[in-house]
Amino acid sequence: MFRIRFHGRGGQGIKTASQILGSAFFRSGFEVQDAPRYGAERRGAPIFAYVRADRSPIHERGVILRPDLVVVADESLVPIPAAGVLQGVTSNTLLLVNSPQTPELWQQRLKLGAPVLCLPVESEGEDRAGLPHIGATCAGAAARLVGVVARESLVQAVEDELAKLGADELEFNLDHALAAFDAFSRHAGRVQEGAAIEAGGYARPEWIDLEPDAALFAAPDVEGAATSEGAKTGLWRTLRPVIDYERCNRCSWICSTLCPDGAIRVEADHTPRVDYDHCKGCMVCVAVCPPHAIAAVSEAGARAEESPA
Amino acid sequence: MSAETRFGRMKDLPSTHLLGTGTAMCAGCGGLEALHEIYDVLGARSVFVNAAGCMTLLSVYPFTPFRGSWLYTSMASAPAGAQGVRDALDLLLARGALPPEEDLQVVTLTGDGAAYGMGLSATSSAIERGLDFLYICYDNEGYGNTGQQTSAATPHGARTATAVGGHVGWKKDLFAIWCAHRPAYAATVIGAEPLDLARKIEKAMKLKGPRLILALAPCPTGWGYEPRDTVEVGRLAVKSGVFPLKEYEDGRVTHTKPPHPRAPVKDYLRLQGRFAHLFEPKRDEATIAEIQAAVDRYWEGAG
Repeated sequence: MFRIRFHGRGGQGIKTASQILGSAFFRSGFEVQDAPRYGAERRGAPIFAYVRADRSPIHERGVILRPDLVVVADESLVPIPAAGVLQGVTSNTLLLVNSPQTPELWQQRLKLGAPVLCLPVESEGEDRAGLPHIGATCAGAAARLVGVVARESLVQAVEDELAKLGADELEFNLDHALAAFDAFSRHAGRVQEGAAIEAGGYARPEWIDLEPDAALFAAPDVEGAATSEGAKTGLWRTLRPVIDYERCNRCSWICSTLCPDGAIRVEADHTPRVDYDHCKGCMVCVAVCPPHAIAAVSEAGARAEESPA
Repeated sequence: MSAETRFGRMKDLPSTHLLGTGTAMCAGCGGLEALHEIYDVLGARSVFVNAAGCMTLLSVYPFTPFRGSWLYTSMASAPAGAQGVRDALDLLLARGALPPEEDLQVVTLTGDGAAYGMGLSATSSAIERGLDFLYICYDNEGYGNTGQQTSAATPHGARTATAVGGHVGWKKDLFAIWCAHRPAYAATVIGAEPLDLARKIEKAMKLKGPRLILALAPCPTGWGYEPRDTVEVGRLAVKSGVFPLKEYEDGRVTHTKPPHPRAPVKDYLRLQGRFAHLFEPKRDEATIAEIQAAVDRYWEGAG
């Protein structure tokens, strides 16, 4: 059985990617399951979707815990424990990451012994959540990596899932899906089908557990006020608003009042401060600031600058 | 504005915010923008009775952005829930178990699905009974939490999940329906006009009885525009006259920010994916003209 998990952010077409791959498997004669999983159905929030495909009826249910292939549409999700990208990854799992870094660097970073491939990134520095084709690209690449899906089945699957969007959208997505399919021809069949899972055979994966959130966040006082602040929605962000304090004219209200999340406070001396733990990166402040003192910068770039390593 | 308000100018708006961050509302949510502005004026001494909708996700145990209590009801029964909370508070006050200075504002919070449709009967009877409560409707003109299906608040021509070719009906005039009940106060607000909003909430807080606030909630997810444009879309809703800012008091409706001159409605429609089919691939002049004519008619009548 093939078990494939796609990770990305709301808005990237991750659900669609799993539907396309599921359809492509189905058209290749497989039994298929595909399903998305997300908490808040929100643009930018972490989401994953998974596909099971087998030649005989599938009796497994629920989330895939032992993936054979993990596709990551947004590399910034990898280090976020809540996104669960690395859950169940073993040395038999193939990882495909949309990243400007090299596979070798990822292997070094992750130390999982798992093979890593990288999707070539076309437009570095842009809003990665906004790339409209990335879902189709991921589906196309995955279809080639499993090695059992014919090009024609992928074309039909993209048509099955996206024809409703109109001819232009369909063609655009098809181009990207096929480009990815063709780009990975050298790696066709790299994904190894996992064995059936026996309940008795469960072994703890060899990984280092990351620190869980503090107990305070998991169970804050039910009578506490504004406990939602324990949820760090800053991880939704793919663009970061950065205030240029030279240009900021200390109006004391515009960005702070119009920020939908109230994530900008103004200090006594009228200086605005963005709460990056909670700013979701909507960029309303960038759009409304009269002297254009707030810039939208790539979150990944900003993080890299903070901790160059 | 007279000395009756503490919000004389923009700089009087609160610069620190009471509503907690970390909620599950979408990035760029126009409803949350309005709610956090409202909450700053309303204050922490309030109980929220929340009907099912997007904002159900505000308070998911164990997290809440509020500083007071929150009660969740089914879609149609938030005003009935508010009645129960108000009655309980009144009983405590009558028994001397709650000092008058510790009394709470009872606030109903619902989306347009509940306000315009399923919950309208409960709202109507709550106003009829003279319930002392503040009703806030965040109106994103569709069933947003489930994928933007058509609601009774969906405007003419808008594409929704259930009206793929554009909604053939017209947005229900909920404000007029509310006013026909002769409540203590009713007003329309939008997060993009925070000073107007703050003054109206401040006024509502000083009154007793049913007070109803209709907040247009630009919705990047449901309306199909970039989250950063929430304020731009909101300002154009007002400038184009599509969403009149007004208040009802003592049997009279007053427009608080009539647009002069009015921007063409196409400027507002153009920004949103839900109206894209009116412009591409072929311009649907007839529908655009129909929408413009409806807005013009409204403002002629408004005198």
